[in-house]
Amino acid sequence: MFEAHSINAEHKDLIHDIAYDFYGQRMATCSSDQFVKVWDEDEHDNWHLTASWKAHSGSVWKVTWAHPEFGQVLATCSFDRTAAVWEEIVGEGSGSGERGMRHWVRRTNLVDSRTSVTDVKFAPKTLGLLLATCSADGVIRIYEAPDVMNLSQWTLQHEISCKLPCSCLTWNPSLSRLHPPMLAVGSDDSNASSGGKVFIYEYSENNRRWTKTETLSNVVDPVHDIAFAPNLGRSFHTLAIATKDVRIVTLKPMQDAAQSGLSRFEITTAAQFDDHYCTVWRVCWNIMGTILASSGDDGCVRLWKDNYVNNWKCVAVLKGDGTSAHSAEIPQIATPPSHSISGTQAPLSTTRNISIATVTAERPTTTILSTSKWQAPVIKGRFSKSVWLGNPSEPSLPPPPIIERPKSKK
Amino acid sequence: MTSKTVFVTQEGPANALALNKDNTQVVIAGRNVFKIFALLEDKFEEVCNLRVGKNLNLNFSCNDVAWNLIDDHILATAATNGAVVVWNLNRPSRSKQEHVFIDHKRTVNKVSFHMTEPMWLISGSQDGTMKCFDLRIKEATKTFYSNTESVRDVQFSPHQQYTFAAVSENGHVQQWDLRKPDRCFQHFTAHSGPIFACDWHPEASWLATASRDKTIKVWDISAKPTCEYTIHTIASVGRIKWRPQRKYHIASCALVVDCSINVWDIRRPYIPFASFNEHKDVPTGVAWRGDPQYFLSTSRDCTLYHHVFKDATRPASKANPQGIALNCKGDVAYACKISVNAPTTVKQLTSIMRKSPASNDTFCMASSMMHRFTETAPREPKWFRECAEGYLLSGRLNDICDHNAAVAITAGRNDISTVWSITKTLYANPLGNMLKSSPNVSKDDTVNTLNLAQIGIGSTVDQTNIGHENDVKSLQGEAPGVISGGDDETETDEMTENQNFIGPILPSHRRYLAGHKCQPKGDFFFGDGELEPITMDYTSGYIHNLMNHENDWTLPKEAFPLRHEIQDRSPPPEQFPNHSPDMNDNDSGSVTVEDQPCELIVTAVPKPLFWDPTQLIEEALRHHAAILDVQTSASILIALGERRKSLNIEAATQEHWLLEYIDMLGRFKLWEIATQIIQLAWMPSVSQLNQQSTTIHACCTTCTKPLQRSAWLCDRCHTSRHALCSICHQVVRGVYAWCQGCAHGGHVIHMNEWFESNRQCPTGCGHICEFT
Repeated sequence: MFEAHSINAEHKDLIHDIAYDFYGQRMATCSSDQFVKVWDEDEHDNWHLTASWKAHSGSVWKVTWAHPEFGQVLATCSFDRTAAVWEEIVGEGSGSGERGMRHWVRRTNLVDSRTSVTDVKFAPKTLGLLLATCSADGVIRIYEAPDVMNLSQWTLQHEISCKLPCSCLTWNPSLSRLHPPMLAVGSDDSNASSGGKVFIYEYSENNRRWTKTETLSNVVDPVHDIAFAPNLGRSFHTLAIATKDVRIVTLKPMQDAAQSGLSRFEITTAAQFDDHYCTVWRVCWNIMGTILASSGDDGCVRLWKDNYVNNWKCVAVLKGDGTSAHSAEIPQIATPPSHSISGTQAPLSTTRNISIATVTAERPTTTILSTSKWQAPVIKGRFSKSVWLGNPSEPSLPPPPIIERPKSKK
Repeated sequence: MTSKTVFVTQEGPANALALNKDNTQVVIAGRNVFKIFALLEDKFEEVCNLRVGKNLNLNFSCNDVAWNLIDDHILATAATNGAVVVWNLNRPSRSKQEHVFIDHKRTVNKVSFHMTEPMWLISGSQDGTMKCFDLRIKEATKTFYSNTESVRDVQFSPHQQYTFAAVSENGHVQQWDLRKPDRCFQHFTAHSGPIFACDWHPEASWLATASRDKTIKVWDISAKPTCEYTIHTIASVGRIKWRPQRKYHIASCALVVDCSINVWDIRRPYIPFASFNEHKDVPTGVAWRGDPQYFLSTSRDCTLYHHVFKDATRPASKANPQGIALNCKGDVAYACKISVNAPTTVKQLTSIMRKSPASNDTFCMASSMMHRFTETAPREPKWFRECAEGYLLSGRLNDICDHNAAVAITAGRNDISTVWSITKTLYANPLGNMLKSSPNVSKDDTVNTLNLAQIGIGSTVDQTNIGHENDVKSLQGEAPGVISGGDDETETDEMTENQNFIGPILPSHRRYLAGHKCQPKGDFFFGDGELEPITMDYTSGYIHNLMNHENDWTLPKEAFPLRHEIQDRSPPPEQFPNHSPDMNDNDSGSVTVEDQPCELIVTAVPKPLFWDPTQLIEEALRHHAAILDVQTSASILIALGERRKSLNIEAATQEHWLLEYIDMLGRFKLWEIATQIIQLAWMPSVSQLNQQSTTIHACCTTCTKPLQRSAWLCDRCHTSRHALCSICHQVVRGVYAWCQGCAHGGHVIHMNEWFESNRQCPTGCGHICEFT
């Protein structure tokens, strides 16, 4: 079940981005009104505005938190062609209150771009304090703060030209040394003939350069958002793409890539949903990487969940106006691939109150219409060993008793 | 009329442009260019080049140009040398120069014709004066002293015949009456920096000003000047021009940095309504063609552009109107644009005021609402936290596994519990335990076997401790019976692994429940043969067998004679955790137990074979990592201790799992557990994590020399006085607990004891220490 709480952000224009910090207890919003606001959660789960400042002289497109080991640090990027790094400092308590007033100071302003800076993201912390920006003229820039204690000194390490205007970027969050630093960049170029709109860049330690390793050629529509799933020890990478639909793509490093130096990937579209029936603006993973949230022009957030064999289902629909937070029940028996009849299914019910997977074991289950359209999962590699437990011909068999109940005797 | 975006390139940049009164011709003027073009359907056609004649002096170098609004053949230019030059296109000679006013001492920044009086011309100059010229008199008729260093723009009011406005570099706006040159009738400070341009609104009593402070301000100057709107742009604003027939729209171009021409809706002052990005260098002039859809511009890149509104980019439409974020509690923060359904009253109002597309209105009504969706009963974070906090990670593997299996069950993760149980079973070395015959060891053995039974048969059913105990007993009770089965050394080729697992639980075991409670442990002693099922052939194939939905868990008939009727059928085994708990909840229905009795007795058990479970464990760990359950992978890996060395998992992968798990623990603020894992880590890159970037400098209390080698011995004075415990007077090596009030302290344990019964400092210093 989801409860909706309205937050009066009091931004004077569109809010373009929301970001939780590492712990999920602080939140930053940015808006076209050129302000960035920081919200903190108190012990009673209430959120309070704790800082608000004019950060740029143009719309602020994105806001992102650095890992807390670098301090309370935000990065923003703006239509005014700059990206900025902000640090919260606790002032020396001089009179006003026992605890010093906190405020955010601009540590640096990155002015290399000649067009709107469309996205900014900190690299995974294992790479140090690294910041990637991309801009509307198709340039990706990697900045580094060589001294993590000095946030005002950033050096432009790399400038990668990607030809098409960039709209979004994401770092591969993997902490593994087996995975070289990797970036995915999306373009919102509306010209379908310019080819794939998602590019994968990898950093090669040998020649110290970023190289484009892949172009996702099957994504030709404008890409508005892109997000790598938390890696959490996986050998492959999962990428969510917001374009005219929601896509989930897996990138599996190929074994023979080692000798060639440049890694190649086996790229599989794991899922593709067009339930929004309109432009999808945002995708975001939960920190466990198990739920993907997407939002589109329909004003709804849809939550997608994987049942571990690449069978993705919509588990909730959250209305953006907060009038009701509805969601679909997880089908109690996940429909095996052969069962899905895509396209003709009833639209998701928005009247049922949700309970995500509150299934009692003994209750005889009924098949609930799968509400999401989904692609037949591409079962490869690891997943080929997973076989559906459900017997397709008998979808409503009672489940066996699970461990918490007394032994069932029938 | 030209209806598409066209441009023409010149030999030099133009500083200004002006249209004739019917908007069919344009004049551009710069230091080295001074031309008139006709606007044709799809191109510019040069009509006249005014830069002709033998005397190309600085009079031709123009800062500004104005086209007479009544007499179509009269032009005026503001020259960089301070001259104001009037040009007559009707002159028969090649040189069209009519007259040169040389009244200004410095550069003239602006010239402007009066809208209704064709003979009136006004100029603003860098010398701080404005001069009004009557073209018939051939000299300046009036001079207005602005008392500022320089006048950057001067414009006649479209509303009042004798009024003009002037803006200057000190940020001041002045309104003058032509008839009263002694002093301005209105004067106010509009910007904190130089004002470069101003423009009267054609209808409202608004004056827009553009400044180096990157803002455009709209002033209502009908009475006391008030700033109605402020637009924040990204660069110094050089030129502004109101868009005809659009009350709230104004075009601007920057003086530096920004090469685009932006059209703003002043009601939404943050993002341009439309943007024109054709120029490669900063634009120098903008002129509307009397039509809101078309305008011309010049730029420092030497081009003259004709822009069409439909070719504009709309930055707002490319802007992402939504934001979404998830945190570790499962909350979803969501901001989205409020869909504008303009109330009908507003629509009517606007339609009365002017005819403009509805999109213009919705454009400036952009706002977002923000919601936070909280999951009422988030499951994953709960699992994660409970497991992380509950898991034992070091100790004997058996204990760890038992404990962790219980923890996992409490957390609701039955599948993970099974994984722990299986892990334990796989690594239990019954043979090794058996060699020692002490009761304790065999008790362990019992537990092992018990768990085997649990796993194989259905630990998931009897999960309470009592059930657990029961199974132990039943197994114990059963053992003799099994032994009595004789040593039929059947190889297990024919038997499925499932059968092997079912084997030990024999039908009659329940009878023994009560009777064997006090049975000595030693009795529970398997012969060689009995151990076999525990470890035998438990290959990955088993998993797939389990997963196979065709396997309905009715046991095949056996070749062995039945000894008993099975009275209590075995519950189905828990599946190997290839599936999420969700799936277990949802899907386990497909594994059914038919009510038909299982008829199987294993009368003989084969010989023990040493079997290496590493491959299976390895697969399981990789599997859990692949399904994002790094907690399980990392925890088992740690729990395995030295056994992990036999796993064929690259060190880098192991490190990866640990790092990801530690990172995740950090998100939940489970630092104790993260530290525990760091300390248990066997690879330096992980175990040294806590030693990075944490330095605490301490100094000796007597000589103030920084303590370097150890915190309890000063290198210089060779004392440990500063590190003595106040209670036992021994040197404290390790954590020194001290009162921040009196700075006395000592061993944590001693301090703890002391303050349980005392409030004062143990040294007798009299301080009432606050021990928390």
